[in-house]
Amino acid sequence: MTAGPFSSAPRPFSTVLVANRGEIAVRVLQAARESGLGSVAVYSDADAGSLHVEVADEAVHISGETLADTYLNSEAIISAALSSGADAVHPGYGFLSERSDFASAVADAGLVWIGPPAETISTMGDKISARIQMIKSGVPVIPGEELTVPDGADHLGTLAACAARVGYPLLLKASAGGGGKGMRAVQEPKMLRAEYEAASREASAAFGDGTIYVESLLTGARHIEVQIIADSYGNCIHLNERDCSLQRRHQKVIEESPSPAVDSELRQAMGAAAVKAAESVGYEGAGTVEFLLSSRGKFYFLEMNTRLQVEHPVTEMTTGIDLVLKQFEVAAGLPLGIIQADVGLSGHAIEARVYAEDASRGFLPCVGRLATWKTPQGPGIRVDSGVRQGDAVTIDFDPMLAKLIVHAPTRRAALRRLDTALSNLIALGVTTNIGFLRDVIAHQAFTTGSVTTDFLDSSDISGFSHTEVESTVLVAVACAAQRLGLERAPSDGGLGALDEHTGHPGDPFRTLTRSFP
Amino acid sequence: MEWSVGEGTGRYTARVSDSEGLLSLSSLNLDGLAVNSPDVSISRANQHGRLRVEIAGASHLAHVAKLGDDWWVHLDGRIHVVRMHEPGSAEDESVEGGLSAPMPGTILEILVKQGQRVREGQALVVMEAMKMEHRIQAPLAGEITKLHYSVGDRVEMGATLVEIGD
Repeated sequence: MTAGPFSSAPRPFSTVLVANRGEIAVRVLQAARESGLGSVAVYSDADAGSLHVEVADEAVHISGETLADTYLNSEAIISAALSSGADAVHPGYGFLSERSDFASAVADAGLVWIGPPAETISTMGDKISARIQMIKSGVPVIPGEELTVPDGADHLGTLAACAARVGYPLLLKASAGGGGKGMRAVQEPKMLRAEYEAASREASAAFGDGTIYVESLLTGARHIEVQIIADSYGNCIHLNERDCSLQRRHQKVIEESPSPAVDSELRQAMGAAAVKAAESVGYEGAGTVEFLLSSRGKFYFLEMNTRLQVEHPVTEMTTGIDLVLKQFEVAAGLPLGIIQADVGLSGHAIEARVYAEDASRGFLPCVGRLATWKTPQGPGIRVDSGVRQGDAVTIDFDPMLAKLIVHAPTRRAALRRLDTALSNLIALGVTTNIGFLRDVIAHQAFTTGSVTTDFLDSSDISGFSHTEVESTVLVAVACAAQRLGLERAPSDGGLGALDEHTGHPGDPFRTLTRSFP
Repeated sequence: MEWSVGEGTGRYTARVSDSEGLLSLSSLNLDGLAVNSPDVSISRANQHGRLRVEIAGASHLAHVAKLGDDWWVHLDGRIHVVRMHEPGSAEDESVEGGLSAPMPGTILEILVKQGQRVREGQALVVMEAMKMEHRIQAPLAGEITKLHYSVGDRVEMGATLVEIGD
């Protein structure tokens, strides 16, 4: 075996196991390959035929029915690393990425952990101790309170008293939270109990920890986050902001960099606060400091995500810095090699999350099979996808199918590019939010860059949609397709399908050389 | 064969004529009444699952795929579903909004009892799918006449969860 890129680094490793699935596993596994590292995937029964298994050099099966048995099973993942000869672990986002016990277990097993030190994760990953840390370091935080309920004790009295002190409307948040899970807005006291129980249950199911805290709900604010990266020599820089204000039910839908609401002065101030936040906990690796930017232009620390974010590509596009590669380098003990002054901001990048969901029915997750999945290509278009044509979309996992990212010289040009790319994203067989995304980015609130985090939840989204094609034309197309017998032909992507490029019947090995967007 | 586009838009029947591979509608009815056929002619495109669609003389490319009774159509940057129905068949199995499972998932909590009176919009059942919780609310006021599932049950999409009577 030839020497890998980090064979002479302070913490050398040559093969990365990715403890994740879907698009982020694909992204990291590809980055490993590009860097000259070996790559190992793990997969559950439901993922035996998934894309991330295909892109890895090697894949290890973890059996079990539930997520706790598989992607949340740190013991099984570490033994998969040891048995496959992997010597580093990348957690992706979600799952075990913010579990300090996993980070320690990886290190204790003699493997390189691609992420911040376990103590940093536990300080920052626990939203309550992160707040306390930020208050100590002088970073502004949202008014709120921690809720301490001893096991088995009656929580309702404590909760109600705490809520009354914070004031309504308020937000219940999972201390271990992320991705909108375990987060509930409470408008008035009578909804407190039901929302608390829902939040706590969601948090227990998603993170294995049902602890909740209470925060004042800022309305009309924007979600602005700052990407930071730090090495183990005390160098810490920020890579500008991302604006993720377009959310529904606290889940991000569209993210962009730079923010239309941030000028260079505010960027410097928020960047400096983010760096201060990271340095105060001795951060290492890539991380994100999230802020709320109030309608008056004041910003407040929200939380720090001690991992790669879903929306990291918009930063990569505008700075030209490959964040996953930087994560590898920092984990290997190499210095950052860049200083703040080296970080540029080129053009404008926007990411749209493609979800299998029905926007017209309260964003309900949808299932089915992707009979057709064709992604757009061209200059300034990037697709980070976890699925391919023929794949089944099931209720077992998160409904995000892919991320469509565009980059252009200006925000206007990026919006036009995104709309064009969304028009050319062909997903048949599963209801997706693609049409909704087109409607949203055409909305005046978005084109003028004035969206706040409550925009979608307070808008009548049924008014967004507009269809240019007449129903009668669609009936004609369906009738013709039926008459021509198109449903009988091999469109199911399985064996026997005609290969798109060669026109020959499918060859199981053919897919291995398929190019990814 | 009858066709519908979206919900509550009526049923179409159509006659297709084929002139050397160029297909068009020679007649079209909506809920039994004749309507104008669109100025459309359709032919096979070079690749499978694609159709060339001429609308009023302008050429468009459509991608189509059939799953179950649904023809999925991508045309002009938008995705549509055209559903096939047996002639004269009843409306879809979907019961009036709210009382059936909107997606496959697990019942987390049942907030009402049989015989209980509920008001419109009251939460009845909490279910979970894809790690998110969804509340099933009463579409109208009434009395709970039947609860079909218990906490922990897995339900299919469209399964009737609760029945409400007067």
